[in-house]
Amino acid sequence: MRGLLSSKAAVPWLFLGPVVVFAAVFFVLPVVFAAYVSLTTWDSLTPPRWVGLANYQYLFATDPIFLRTLWQTVYFALGTLALGVPLALGLATVFGRSRHQGAWRVLYTLPMVTNIVAIGFIFWFVFRQTDGLLNRLLGLFGLPGPGWLTDPSLAMLSAILVFVWMELGRNMLLFAAGLASIDESYYEAARLDGAGRWQLFRFVTLPLLKPTVLFVIVTGFISGMSYFTLMLVLFPGTQGGPGRAALTTGQYMYQMAFEDLRMGRASAVSYVLFALVLVATLVQLRLLRRGGVEARG
Amino acid sequence: MTETSLPATAPGLAAMAETMPPGRPRSAARRTAWTALKYALLTLGALIMVLPFLDMILGALRTPAERLARPPVYWPRDPQWGNFVRVFEELPLWRWMANSLGVTLAITALQLLTSAMAGYALAKFRFPGRTGMFRFAVGAQMFPFFIFLIPWFFILRYAPLMGGNDWTGQGGFGLLGSYAALVLPFAVSWYGIFLMRQFFLAVPDELLDAARMDGAGEFFIFFRIALPLVGGGLATLAIFVFLYHWNEVLWTMTVTRTAPDLQTLPVGIYLLRGAFEQEATKSLQQAAILVSVLPIIVLFLALQRFYVTGITSGSVKG
Repeated sequence: MRGLLSSKAAVPWLFLGPVVVFAAVFFVLPVVFAAYVSLTTWDSLTPPRWVGLANYQYLFATDPIFLRTLWQTVYFALGTLALGVPLALGLATVFGRSRHQGAWRVLYTLPMVTNIVAIGFIFWFVFRQTDGLLNRLLGLFGLPGPGWLTDPSLAMLSAILVFVWMELGRNMLLFAAGLASIDESYYEAARLDGAGRWQLFRFVTLPLLKPTVLFVIVTGFISGMSYFTLMLVLFPGTQGGPGRAALTTGQYMYQMAFEDLRMGRASAVSYVLFALVLVATLVQLRLLRRGGVEARG
Repeated sequence: MTETSLPATAPGLAAMAETMPPGRPRSAARRTAWTALKYALLTLGALIMVLPFLDMILGALRTPAERLARPPVYWPRDPQWGNFVRVFEELPLWRWMANSLGVTLAITALQLLTSAMAGYALAKFRFPGRTGMFRFAVGAQMFPFFIFLIPWFFILRYAPLMGGNDWTGQGGFGLLGSYAALVLPFAVSWYGIFLMRQFFLAVPDELLDAARMDGAGEFFIFFRIALPLVGGGLATLAIFVFLYHWNEVLWTMTVTRTAPDLQTLPVGIYLLRGAFEQEATKSLQQAAILVSVLPIIVLFLALQRFYVTGITSGSVKG
């Protein structure tokens, strides 16, 4: 041991050792294993049988709902961004610089520490058609209460609303941190030039906040594309909501693997979804970086 | 991690000077109106955040008769505070809490140790393969969790010599029925390595070299000199990891479906939902869910400052 430690080249690898072992067993091996399984038919009980690209071919050519789940997943991911990002940005801008933000922040970040099962159940009760909180409130204004979780055309929208509610605090914190890092002198200079509130936001805040916006959109898209725990709780006893209207690709994969025991096909789904997320992420990084303020760091 | 993002130039300003109308004097009345609007918005938002929780509390307090009445009663007339005690008698809540706490603490401790060690090596040593390891840690964060779901399950199932398996991994159930299945796959966090590396970069090399000159061993230097200097980073990472894994559901559910003794708080509550199918029993279900979130909310309120840093550090720039 003494000799090993005194040999200078070995020292960093002693510190990296546990991570290297972990990476081999729980990262490299799984990635290779999943790729192999996706090229086989495997029920997990009998040995896998090599089928080449048949699983991928099946997904795109034969599977009746795979493409639909992809579309629904994209709808969910983009829907949560389209609603959630402007809302969080707007709220963070309105009171990001105010002195009382601490007290408010606690309320907005409560969902961040509440487990997703609890959040799912809480909204299962809020969304109940006859006596849920939401329809009671709508009733106060004389509005009809729809079946938020039972109407196929509303099911995914309801999931999006819950997700936006859940992520609002986290996104606001990120935007608030980005706002705090903008130097006050930019605002002063713009005010001297006579800029109004909207112009300050449009020409100072927004360009300087671009790195944060980029981060929120990219991470939000990745997590949205692989999300389904919430749907398991919101739509119990269904195969992904009424008429599968809230079935995302992640949940479809999970059902294939652990309920139908089709490991090969499920692994193929996970790789298609991964490829899609990866390409979309790279494209977003490209598009959003282009023409923006180049932030260092 | 408080670096500011000063841009090289502020291109908006020049363009603005040309396109903007001359400044208007703003009246005090307008400012007051703006402030009022601002607080109205904030209050509305805060209500939207809090009302679902209050709705849940009211639900937990209703009697079965109030639930079954038509129309159902909203404000409980005879609040059933006893429901919060009864759930402890009817559900293994203590067991779930103990599991949650043990598993989460084990994961947190492991991730702190592995992140600090790896982050230290990447920040404070120059060696062949360093850049490669760093790129690997950054790139690995791009791999979404669902890729690992199936492989992890079978790697643990066929772990050689574990849980009745022979050396080829056959014969038993491997690590599936054990706490190791809940902890081991999360022993390393790529994000944690990245974060700790950032913190170690700020530790001066001279300090470590001075200790080496005095003949201190490398592990002594790491644990006694370098580690205490990144206490803030460790605290931030600890709270971040703890909250994330306290609330983890998907993986734990997958490996404990047939092992109720290992289930954690959220997983137990999810898998036992069938016990509350009857409308009359739903108050108890709501009470159990509230009990499951209360401890962590209290902890969060106490540690809010650190958690906020954990969320925002390492994010603004990547």
